[in-house]
Amino acid sequence: MMKQPIKRPPRIATWILKSILPFHAASHGPGDYEEIYHRMAQQEGAFKAQCWYGSQVCRSILPFLVNSIYWRVAMFKNYLKIAVRNIMKHRAYSFINIFGLALGMSVCILIVGYILDELSFDRYHTKADRIYRLGLNGSLAGNDLIAPISNAPTAPALCAEFSEIENTVRFGGMPQAVVTYQNLQFTEDGVLFADNSVFDIFTFTLLRGDAKSALMTAYSVVITEDVAVKYFGDVDPVGKTLIFNNQDEYTVTGVMENVHAHSHLTFDMLCSFETYYAKNRRAMEGWVPFNYYTYVLLQEDADYKELEKKLPMFVEKTMGPTFQAMGATLALFLQPLTRIHLHSNLEYDTDNSDIGYVYIFSAIAVFILFIGCINFMNLATARSVNRAKEVGIRKVLGSGRGQLIKQFMGESMMTSFVSLMSAVLLVHLAVPLFRSVTGREFSLHFSDFPWLIPGYFLLALIVGLVAGSYPAFFLSAFKPVRILQRFSGKTGSHHFRNILVVIQFAISIILIIGTGMITRQLVFMKNRGLGFDKEHVVVLPIRNSRIPGSLDTFKEELKRSNSVMSVAASSHVPGQAPFVESVFPEGYPEGQSVLIRDLDADCDFIPTMGMEMIAGRNFSREFSTDSEESIIINETAAQRLGWDDPIGKKIYVFDPNVRSAKTIIGVFRDFHMVSLHKVIESMYINNQNDRLRLLSIRIREGNLQETLTFLEEKWKEAEPNRPFDYYFLDESFDSHYRTEEKLSTIFSYFTAFTLLVACLGLFGLASFTAEQRTKEIGIRKALGSSIVGILFLLIKEFTKWVVVANIVAWPLAYFALHRWLQHFAYRTDMSLWMFLLSGALALLIALLTVGYQAVKAAQANPVMSLRYE
Amino acid sequence: MKLISRTEELILLAVLRLQEDAYCVPIFDYLNGVTGKKWTLGTIYGPLYRLEQNGYLASFLGSPSAERGGKSKRFYKVTPKGLRALQEIKRLQDLSWDGLTGPVVDET
Repeated sequence: MMKQPIKRPPRIATWILKSILPFHAASHGPGDYEEIYHRMAQQEGAFKAQCWYGSQVCRSILPFLVNSIYWRVAMFKNYLKIAVRNIMKHRAYSFINIFGLALGMSVCILIVGYILDELSFDRYHTKADRIYRLGLNGSLAGNDLIAPISNAPTAPALCAEFSEIENTVRFGGMPQAVVTYQNLQFTEDGVLFADNSVFDIFTFTLLRGDAKSALMTAYSVVITEDVAVKYFGDVDPVGKTLIFNNQDEYTVTGVMENVHAHSHLTFDMLCSFETYYAKNRRAMEGWVPFNYYTYVLLQEDADYKELEKKLPMFVEKTMGPTFQAMGATLALFLQPLTRIHLHSNLEYDTDNSDIGYVYIFSAIAVFILFIGCINFMNLATARSVNRAKEVGIRKVLGSGRGQLIKQFMGESMMTSFVSLMSAVLLVHLAVPLFRSVTGREFSLHFSDFPWLIPGYFLLALIVGLVAGSYPAFFLSAFKPVRILQRFSGKTGSHHFRNILVVIQFAISIILIIGTGMITRQLVFMKNRGLGFDKEHVVVLPIRNSRIPGSLDTFKEELKRSNSVMSVAASSHVPGQAPFVESVFPEGYPEGQSVLIRDLDADCDFIPTMGMEMIAGRNFSREFSTDSEESIIINETAAQRLGWDDPIGKKIYVFDPNVRSAKTIIGVFRDFHMVSLHKVIESMYINNQNDRLRLLSIRIREGNLQETLTFLEEKWKEAEPNRPFDYYFLDESFDSHYRTEEKLSTIFSYFTAFTLLVACLGLFGLASFTAEQRTKEIGIRKALGSSIVGILFLLIKEFTKWVVVANIVAWPLAYFALHRWLQHFAYRTDMSLWMFLLSGALALLIALLTVGYQAVKAAQANPVMSLRYE
Repeated sequence: MKLISRTEELILLAVLRLQEDAYCVPIFDYLNGVTGKKWTLGTIYGPLYRLEQNGYLASFLGSPSAERGGKSKRFYKVTPKGLRALQEIKRLQDLSWDGLTGPVVDET
């Protein structure tokens, strides 16, 4: 006998062999193969033995495959046929199933589209994963500020200090500019200043002009395609001159593609950052004004977390001393570009979205889909009475449980794929609506997302699995003997079905309460007394016009019309946050400052806005010193400063060199300068008139068009070189609630869909039960039961579960909404009646749904129902 | 009586010849030898199983051995029914060939 250890045949081959050998050869088959293998290995060498072994395996695979596929196809065809027959036979139930699933799937697809759209922000930049935005986390006199802003010298200093930074770019904004080219003039909102490196860091493609030098020199501007067409038509704009605000001449040095819709940075024109230096070099070299946004591009292998750790040292070395002298602390941090759109919601931030909404919408998508699946499960198990006989016969004829599971799964898959097709159709119809609701230009085109088709299939597959698994296992477990004996009629686990109904309605109720609360908060915010009257106020921007120079004359001119009630000029109007100023109140320890918002306005501001003085007096023309020396403060500021009687006290406005003293002459009632998301902050109004840039005109109700025409005429007289632009104060103030408005619309749509699907399911279930209990009802009626009694019997069975659903839904809704309301500084209460009303609504809808079937069943003539026995 | 197939007949004869040693490997060797073709083991499992199911063969498991990777042998034995089936085949065969002359017989 050989003594050396026995060499086994290749393991993979053995494994394949084992899996394809017929079951009856499993016990001895592999042994036979191995014995021959060993014999050959001894006689003819290991290699030959292996070859033989391999060829044996290969030659066995093909017959095995052909055999198994043949039978599988045969069975599959059978499953398919049965599925189609079943779907066609019970059209109403199939419709409920397919419609519910299709609605769920289409909502799911739409939401996935929305989420993809949200996630795709800023990713089109080829270097997106290496771009970071610089933010600051600072505090001054106990006031914290976290904002993505920075000063001008930091960017070049960073670039010089750290080798891991490849490049930096600074952006600066211009609130509004009036741009003139020959006789064309428009007001432009999207004007930014940027370093030339913007074209290196971001993927903003220049169509004309040289990306290496377009923004190198002062007073050069790169415009987008749209703007180019607007001003120049077909003419090549490069080299042409645009006049900004009737004074600065900018040369167009390039035309770039329009900014991608998926960019958190949006602009129409990019002026060279160098222009700032040309205007005021000294101001740009200081560490103090934080007026700019800085983006850094890191080297390929750099880690931004590592870099962040070195930033405190950098601050210490550069601007640290300056801020220490001011009593401020400052730290810098980096934000990855691709996270800005969804994860950044800082002060002075761009108009970003919120990851929270992505989560909410995903949850809703899953909910609706799940409710559709529940319908399928419920109807399938409820109808199991009818299917039970089929299962019994199949089992008796030798069908295994696995085959039955496959068959039922086949049916749910079939339903799921038919639903998918309807869903894709629905989505195509709904995309325009969804776009208008979300305000997003997103696409669901296969060309944009090539994996969408496999994605759809996966969706249908998952839905088919989830919806089909329970019925499949439930139905296939029937014992044939029990079923085929005189069938008792009592099958199906009622408990499971009821739990599913409870889940469906709990979700629906949560969504109803959510919709209600969001709407309520919205109404609350729009109707809450703001401390001023936002209605009937027209706002005219007057910055960069001639009007501030002759303000009083212009105001008088406007007041001549009796539709103009009053006119006031100010630096900001409600809805815009004024700047924060650091002031030194009288009697405070030396060097201790207080941060306070500084609004500049003339003496007509308080009456025009319908605000109220609660102590002291407003500014007045009769006191010539008012414009230099007086301020009025709000209640919050009065409390914050802590004086018993603030009138007559002095505060010193921060200025490193000269301290100008201001005397408090009045206190006005708190009003909401910004939206109700934020608390009222301390604020003072300054009567200085060199920063007045907005004119607020309170007009009389009615004849709006006439009034506007009048205003336009006057405007043209006073300022022929500028277009007449205006907006309404209430609209601009309420635009802060646009997110909530959108949310409320989307929520109500989704709630309607969810309820619809849930009710369809309930309807199916109710009609089935009614059918099932026909005989019982007949007997009850024959024995003298009244129609009302039977109605009650039928309705009770379902509505009690809706009541249970309420109990489940309320606490969940309460916690979710409680969290959502934390977004708002001023919020409505969650009163009990909201919950009661939502519950009652769900109950009512359920009653109506079940009621129809119940009435039909209760009215049936017992003779008819009992006859078929 | 149902007729058995040619492969089944060959296998039954192999089992009969091998007597005490009738398990898959010698059967396989026998088939290879007698037909001069290269069989795969897989092709004999099917007929063996069918023969056993129809009662022409009986089988029992032997003891496992190391050179078989720890797997036991399955030994086969022809049952009386199997014997009868063989006899039937033989009879039919003889009957069909008996008295036949001409090119077919001469060449063999």
